[in-house]
Amino acid sequence: MSVDKSKVLIEVQGLEKSFKDNHVLRGITTNIYQGEVVVIIGPSGSGKSTFLRSLNLLEVPTGGRILFEGTDITDKKVDINRHRQKIGMVFQQFNLFPHKTVKENIMLAPVHLKLMTKEQAGARAEELLKRIGLPDKADSYPGQLSGGQKQRVAIARALAMNPDVMLFDEPTSALDPEMVGEVLEIMRELAMTGMTMVVVTHEMGFAREVGTRVLFIDDGVIQEENEPKEFFSNPQNPRLKDFLSKVL
Amino acid sequence: MTFAEQFRFNFLENSRWQFIVTGLKNTLLISLLAVIVGVVLGFLIAVVRSSHDKSGKFKILNFFCRIYLTVIRGTPAMVQLLIVYYVIFSSVAIDKTVTAVIAFGLNSAAYVAEIIRSGIMSIDEGQTEAGRSLGLNFSQTMRLIILPQAFKNVLPALGNEFIVLLKEISISGYIGLIDLTRGGDIIRSQTYEALFPLLAVAAIYLVLVMVLSWLVDRLERRLRVSER
Repeated sequence: MSVDKSKVLIEVQGLEKSFKDNHVLRGITTNIYQGEVVVIIGPSGSGKSTFLRSLNLLEVPTGGRILFEGTDITDKKVDINRHRQKIGMVFQQFNLFPHKTVKENIMLAPVHLKLMTKEQAGARAEELLKRIGLPDKADSYPGQLSGGQKQRVAIARALAMNPDVMLFDEPTSALDPEMVGEVLEIMRELAMTGMTMVVVTHEMGFAREVGTRVLFIDDGVIQEENEPKEFFSNPQNPRLKDFLSKVL
Repeated sequence: MTFAEQFRFNFLENSRWQFIVTGLKNTLLISLLAVIVGVVLGFLIAVVRSSHDKSGKFKILNFFCRIYLTVIRGTPAMVQLLIVYYVIFSSVAIDKTVTAVIAFGLNSAAYVAEIIRSGIMSIDEGQTEAGRSLGLNFSQTMRLIILPQAFKNVLPALGNEFIVLLKEISISGYIGLIDLTRGGDIIRSQTYEALFPLLAVAAIYLVLVMVLSWLVDRLERRLRVSER
């Protein structure tokens, strides 16, 4: 699968976000196309997580617009819950529901939002668990899983909704080093299926190999964006050069 | 008098034990109904208050809830009971048990509200975000994700509140209602013997509280199964 430039999935126009006096996002404009894997990097406090969380309105923007599949989701009249069903999200801290089993975690939203029957959702959960390599963990509780396993389940939970795009907010930052690989592998496989992904990460290897486009955000604006090879071998922005010299 | 004679004199003669039984029945009935009033009302207040804390909704409702909590928690339960009986229902012929249920229910609601609110606030914000990101609305997220976890966390504190409530009902005698304490006290006033009736009353309270703690403990352990 490849990027389909004719189909814009998310259109971000002049996005701004401030917390009281703190201007975190200062006007971000970009399009995310069908099939893209957009990797966002930047120093801590640059606004990259806030930008990602704005895409499904977990952070409500203070300016600008976000069009998801043509609908302005920043419009107060829009039923954001309906659009969120199509925007999967994976968090740094996994945020699995500790009082539910792995299978129940995956089934909860599709069943309660009446998108699937219990049987359908159960079958879907088992299929997803097989895909992430944890078919035997269906009846375990999140507390019984390792960090890497938790994050894989969190990915499965988001996928159960059959989203059109997946957002990843530093999905490997809370993991022990030996578990990073298994999560990145699942994400790589997901990218291969043509899933549109927006990933905030510090994993430069992933950005280089899986990303179709890399954004460098600092001071609340996109300082530079390019396809990965150019981005890493020939950075233009002095801040990006400085950042890359520190992390590579 | 020997032990057996004293027992006979205090409890069996003139069927005085009936005061204890009547009192126990009233105490249990009032506790049960007041707990229901307290939990339902307290739960609603907690949801209003924590929704306000989290998202700034319900400004006016939250304001009234805060006044309610301040007044109820800032005055003694006994004064509240007397006010409900002598002021609010002064001109209405109303059963004393109902008066007590209302007074203790309203009182308990304030404490239950703050206990449940603390439970809701103790759940990591990430849980709400995870629920909302899946497309669940606010109340679905509350009902399916936050409240079950919050309830588990506050169960010991809730159990404690029920124990306090059960014992607090002993002030019902002040509105002329025969609760367990007043039942024992009536026997004392008839026999001029304090030891037996009051010890009997104390022992019954102790057993009730122990049973209640045991039940809460069991429920708590059952809910904890999912943790590990």
